[in-house]
Amino acid sequence: MNAEAPIEPAPPDLLTEAAPVMRRRFSADWMVALLLPVLTGVAWEAAVRLGLASGRLMPPPSRLAVTAWGLIRTGELQTHVAATMTRVAFGFVFGALAGTALGTLTGASAWMRRLLDPTIQAIRAIPSIAWVPLFILWLGIFETSKLALVSLGVFFPVYLGVLSAIQGVDRKLIEVGRVFGLSPAKLVWRITLPAILPSWVSALRTGLGLGFMFVLAAELLGASEGLGYLLLDGEQMGRADSILVAMITFAILGKLCDSLLVAVSRPILAWQDTARTRL
Amino acid sequence: MTEFTGRHLAVSHVTKTYANGTQALLDVTLEAAAGEIVSLVGTSGCGKTTLLRLIAGLDRASGGAILVGGQPTRGTHRAISAVFQEPRLLPWLTVAQNIEFGGQDLVPSDRRGRAAGLLERIGLAGFGQYLPKNLSGGQQQRVAIARALIGHPGILLLDEPFSALDPFTRATLHELLLGLWRELRPTVVMVTHDVEEAVVLADRVVVMKPRPGRIAETITIRLPRPRDRLSPLFDAAKRRVMQSIDRSLSEHAPPAHKQATEGSAFWW
Ligand SMILES: Nc1ncnc2c1ncn2[C@@H]1O[C@H](COP(=O)(O)OP(=O)(O)OP(=O)(O)O)[C@@H](O)[C@H]1O
Ligand SMILES: [Mg+2]
Repeated sequence: MNAEAPIEPAPPDLLTEAAPVMRRRFSADWMVALLLPVLTGVAWEAAVRLGLASGRLMPPPSRLAVTAWGLIRTGELQTHVAATMTRVAFGFVFGALAGTALGTLTGASAWMRRLLDPTIQAIRAIPSIAWVPLFILWLGIFETSKLALVSLGVFFPVYLGVLSAIQGVDRKLIEVGRVFGLSPAKLVWRITLPAILPSWVSALRTGLGLGFMFVLAAELLGASEGLGYLLLDGEQMGRADSILVAMITFAILGKLCDSLLVAVSRPILAWQDTARTRL
Repeated sequence: MTEFTGRHLAVSHVTKTYANGTQALLDVTLEAAAGEIVSLVGTSGCGKTTLLRLIAGLDRASGGAILVGGQPTRGTHRAISAVFQEPRLLPWLTVAQNIEFGGQDLVPSDRRGRAAGLLERIGLAGFGQYLPKNLSGGQQQRVAIARALIGHPGILLLDEPFSALDPFTRATLHELLLGLWRELRPTVVMVTHDVEEAVVLADRVVVMKPRPGRIAETITIRLPRPRDRLSPLFDAAKRRVMQSIDRSLSEHAPPAHKQATEGSAFWW
């Protein structure tokens, strides 16, 4: 039977083997993905230049570029982006930590689940924006109340994701841990946590998306800087171009943050035996 | 001396009724001496897996006791390790780490050393850094065996470990298992559907019958090892076991129509 082993041709690291192919696919994907927005932009630009549309309510890309450049040159856009991203970052960290901790607690202990989960679910049923007046009363109108709102938005998907992932961990793998004498704490550390990692990353991505949604809600309800403020300002001044610049900036930031999360998590999820090669 | 007693297994009047009322085992008594290989055979649903899970401490018996080295066990026992029907490797650990996982009580240097030795022993010397998903089913099952043996268990439980493999792979794994058994001399309790497998490996074959699961007969195989599968004596032993299984079925068999309704009830 030992004679069988040397014949095995499989490369020791399938990741490096597949990398060039994936990179080529990746750049092709990029081009395909950009096709629709670029074509739409070109068509709109042409329509405005040819006088088919006024472009007042829907400014063409060239106008947006000029506006964006103006905002960047004065440093205004950077200030707004920094303000928004700081809120998202802190809110995300707090919300994700709390969601992970409570999800682990209620997932690992049936007793904790009976104690905590009904209350958490009830709180979840409150539309999160309804918290705004209370947060402002409690925490003031400045940063703290905004962070609280973003954290709340991030918390629920992460909590739910972690809880259901823990309950869904394969009993068979848990039994392996039990047979080999793992203590309950070690069982969580060595089996439950690695097993839920993929779901956890998905939950974090959902949470991050909601974080962006809630930061906007917080900023629309009163802020002196941030992309939400830029949006509101654009509305009051009748400037569709700055509204659109703010929206596009949101799109770019959201996508960048999500990609960052995926890139960071990819190496630790390489063990997954799934059809999707990329998250 | 502790080595010796830790390898003695006794199942004493064990009964298991599942929460849904299924009586899976009724008054099962079984003893395995240190270093003995016992195989459990019997039709599907006669409680073989249930019995193994009770011994492993993964489920609790409704009555009776499991004794290791004369001591009743509660829950899992450090002397007992197991190979399941599926490899059940942890997909996020490499092959070497999976083997090391079985040696929780070892100091890290020992663990690494033994894992390296076992990797070689199971013919996967260059595969330590592979992930389980990059191994074939037979290779994964070999890793599972290595994982079960790294801690030098007193008692090794196997639940149809080779049933998903082709006959050639199975035969090589029988050799591997016997080779490792000769070195470490654990007491082995192995469930199988394959009569030939039972006769190749076991000192004693325990035939079980279903509904409720009981022991029908115990057959001692007095063939010297290594066993020649083609010898007439081997054939005679095999026939003996098959006859016993047939007998346990026919004496149990309820009227045909009743069996049919039970079958359909089971499916629904
Ligand atoms: N968790 C469970 N809950 C309820 N009934 C169960 C459970 N596990 C097994 N049973 C029942 O107990 C009986 C014995 O099952 P067991 O899995 O031990 O059989 P087995 O001999 O291993 O069968 P096979 O050869 O098909 O693996 C069966 O009737 C089965 O339906
Ligand atoms: Mg079974």
